[in-house]
This record gives sequence, structure tokens and C-alpha cells, in this order.
Amino acid sequence: MLSRYIKLYYLFCKQNLKVMLEYRMDFLLGVLSVMLQQFAGIFFVKIVFDHIHALNGWTFYEILFIYGIAATGRSIHHIFFDNLWTLGWQYIRPGKFDRLLIRPINPLFHFIADRLQQDGFGQLFIGIIVIGTAMPHLSISWGVLEFFILVVMIIASGFIFVAINLFFATLSFWMVDSLPIVWTIFNLSDFARYPLTIYHKGIRHFLTWIVPYGFTAFYPAAYFIEGTGFERLALLTPVVAIISCLIAYWFWNRGLKAFTSTGS
Amino acid sequence: MRKYFEFARVQMQVHAAYSAWFWANTFSILLRMLVIYFFWKAVYSSRTEIEGLPFDGMITYIIIAMFLQMFVSGVGQELAHTIKDGNVAIELMRPYNLITRLVAMDLGDKVIHFVRGALPLSILAFIFMDITLPTTWQGGLLFLFSALMGIWIGTFFDLLIAILAFWTINLWGLQVMKEAVISFFSGALVPLILFPEWFQTISLFLPFQAMVYVPVAIYTGILSGTEAWLALGSQVFWAVSLLVLLRVLWSIAIKKVTIFGG
Repeated sequence: MLSRYIKLYYLFCKQNLKVMLEYRMDFLLGVLSVMLQQFAGIFFVKIVFDHIHALNGWTFYEILFIYGIAATGRSIHHIFFDNLWTLGWQYIRPGKFDRLLIRPINPLFHFIADRLQQDGFGQLFIGIIVIGTAMPHLSISWGVLEFFILVVMIIASGFIFVAINLFFATLSFWMVDSLPIVWTIFNLSDFARYPLTIYHKGIRHFLTWIVPYGFTAFYPAAYFIEGTGFERLALLTPVVAIISCLIAYWFWNRGLKAFTSTGS
Repeated sequence: MRKYFEFARVQMQVHAAYSAWFWANTFSILLRMLVIYFFWKAVYSSRTEIEGLPFDGMITYIIIAMFLQMFVSGVGQELAHTIKDGNVAIELMRPYNLITRLVAMDLGDKVIHFVRGALPLSILAFIFMDITLPTTWQGGLLFLFSALMGIWIGTFFDLLIAILAFWTINLWGLQVMKEAVISFFSGALVPLILFPEWFQTISLFLPFQAMVYVPVAIYTGILSGTEAWLALGSQVFWAVSLLVLLRVLWSIAIKKVTIFGG
């Protein structure tokens, strides 16, 4: 069962890769543009830190580290799960979603595997570079265990992005296209690029327990930064990721049951 | 002229029809204002001024720049998609100038966005976020003129980039690239005076600072007197050059259509 899906995913990927190689210039343009976009954000932080020494007690490299985890985590979502954005306007509205339902595989799997978004690689590169730049400047000493935890945290961060987008994309089953909602919620992740301690308490709780974007960057990063007091909460990151995914998948299945095609 | 006016009007009605996007936009802008507010509050927690700008001056700059940036892009996406799916061939046969039609639609878009979005939200910002009015009424007047120029420059730059769709299919990448470059050089994120010297020199020769930085710097009094008038002059220069460049590139690109068309 699982091996069949892995093989299928490989086949889907191969098709996607062929498209990528066909349009090489566009691949480069996509990667470059996302790198530039991320770089603009980092540059902004750098400019601000040229004039201050610390932001509420957070140093430049600590902020960079948070930023890097957010970018790398989001790249997982961007590369492999980008199709979530298109559920409403490319599948349900034109009646193409029915196609997925009559195939003998899990419709969610099919839907996700339909697209591999090459542009996300730019985000991945930048994320890794940023983390690499920030790491030596943190007071923690990096051993194998720390690296392992970092990788787990980043994967968890990616899946929290996925779960939140999946949850709100699922609303499309009732309202045809929920993109405005998905997009608005996604914008909340902007908060997560900076230490949550700079925000009002209400915002912090909201981003921790309701829409857990705090776990996509700030809490995982805080685990590696001494004296933040968030180390324990940070260890919850993988748990939050799993719970979020389960809730989102449960909601997706409910949506599937409620789905009636747009016809045509 | 009348037909273009109609396009602008219809575009406004289209907007009124998509209320979900309106609320999504409004909500997202509110969120961004919150992030900006708390971020800068934290930046200023241990000092009173940065490069001569106190907190209220800085937050005024950032918020006004954020609103202005929303208006400096245009209908590039629209044009790029028309080119990509080949409809441009049909559009060119119709009894109007495609570019003029798109600009008219864009105008409709911007007016409705201003009335329903930017205006009420900026009033909110004025009430809750320590935002100040321009220091002098002349400054305010100059800002209005300069902002319109900035929007003009942004609109035509957007169309210029969209024409590249004749050569690439990755429209999303093109769009993201353009936005990244604009937020870099236009001063939409922070006032350019905070940037290193060499960066300020480079941006002096690029059209981007004319989109956001110049008008908002005039508003907040960073630019005043002769400096302000010189900056306005550079805006006029860019406005004219971009228009000419657009005409030239468009006529080259159209020839490509006839080659493909067959």
C-alpha cells in the first residue's frame, strides 16, 4: 500500500520534472524571484539592525535564525503542497475535481501529487543559507542531537504550514473557492517572522493555540536560544504539527463527504 | 474616450461583486498594520529616534508607504495572462487600444480600492496609531501630486514587465520578482535614508524610489524645499521615459504576435 503510493509519487514527480526541464528559463526565473523576495525581507531586518543593537533583547542573528526556520519550513509547503492554493479555482469551479474522485487512489494524495512547485527551491536555498549564517552566532554548541532536533523542527514547521492551508482550502467544498480565506490566514504567518514576545499577549496566544503559526518559526528557534523560557513549549512543535495535520485531514474528509460537484 | 470610461466603470462594479476578496484584503491589511506597529514599537523601545526620525514619524512613513505601495502596481497581471493564453491576438483586433483599455480598467480598480479600502483603513490608522499629518499644507499638496506621479510610474512599469510574458511563461515568478525589486528599492519597507550610502546612490538612478519613497518622504518632511522639487523633477522624467519605453517595447512585442499567429 505505502510502497505503491511512493512509486506513484515518484511517477508524478517525474512528469513534473519533465515540465521543469522543458522550461528551464522559467525554472531559473522562479527560483531567483523567490530568493530575491526572501532576501528583501532579510535585507530589511539588516537595515533596521544597522541602527539598533537588539530588538526587545533579540539580536540580529537570533532574528535571522527565526527567519531561516520560517523560510525553510515554508519551502517544504511551497515545493510539495503548493497545489492546495488551487483547489477552488482550478479543480472545484471548473468541475475538474470529479476526475480525482473516480481514480483508485486517495483523492488528497492525487491532488497534492499533481504539482511539484519548483519555485519553492529558491526559498529552500535561502532558508538553509540563512540558518547556516545564523547558527555559529548562537550561544548553543551544535552536536548531532541538535542538528537532528533542528531538522525535525523544520519538517514539523513545514507540516504546520500545510495543515493550516489544507484546513482552510477545504472550505472550498462548501463555498466553491475559499482562496480569499486561505490567503488571509496565510498572511498571519507574517507575524511569525519576528519574536512573538514583541506582540500583544492576545496575538501571541492566538498564534500559539488557535492558528499555530508561532510553531512554524519562533518556538522552534527559541529552543536553540538560551534563556528565552520557551524551551519546553518548543518541544511541542512536532506534536502540534501532527495534531494540526490530523485535524486538517479530518476536516478534509468531512468536506469530501459534503462535496457536490459544480456540474457542467 | 467614452468607451474607456465605461471600462473603468464596469471594473468598479466587478469589484463590488467580489466581496469575499474585499474582506480578505481589508483583513490582511489590518494584520500587516498590526505587525508593523508592534515591530516598530519594539525597535523604538530603547531609543527615541533613528536617523532623526522619532517613532511617530517612522510609523507615519511606514504606514503611508504601505498604502501607497498597494497602488503602484497595475494591470500587468491582466496583460501578462492575455499574452500567455494567446487572447492578445483577438484583443488586438478589437476597436480599442489594448493598453489604454487596461489602464482605464486599472484606474477604475484604483479608485474603488481607494474609496473602499485605503481611505477607511488610513482613517483607522490615524485614530489608533500615532500617525501625523504633513507638517505644512504645501507639503501635503506636493505629496498628493507626487503620489499621483508615483502611481503613474508604478502602473507603467508594471505593464512594461508584463510584456516580458511574450518571452516567459512563469508569470508568477515574474510578478514575485517585480514585487521584490520594488520593495527593495522603492523605500516601501523603510525610508531610504536608513540604507547604506552606496545603496542610496544606486537607487537614485532607478525609477523605484520615485514610486514610493519620494512622495512619502515629502509627506513626512524628510524631503523639503529644493530637494523636494528636484525629486519631483526626477519623477516627471521617469513618468515620461517609462511611457515612451512602453510604447517602443509594445510595438516590438506586437510584431512577435504576428509571427506566431499564422
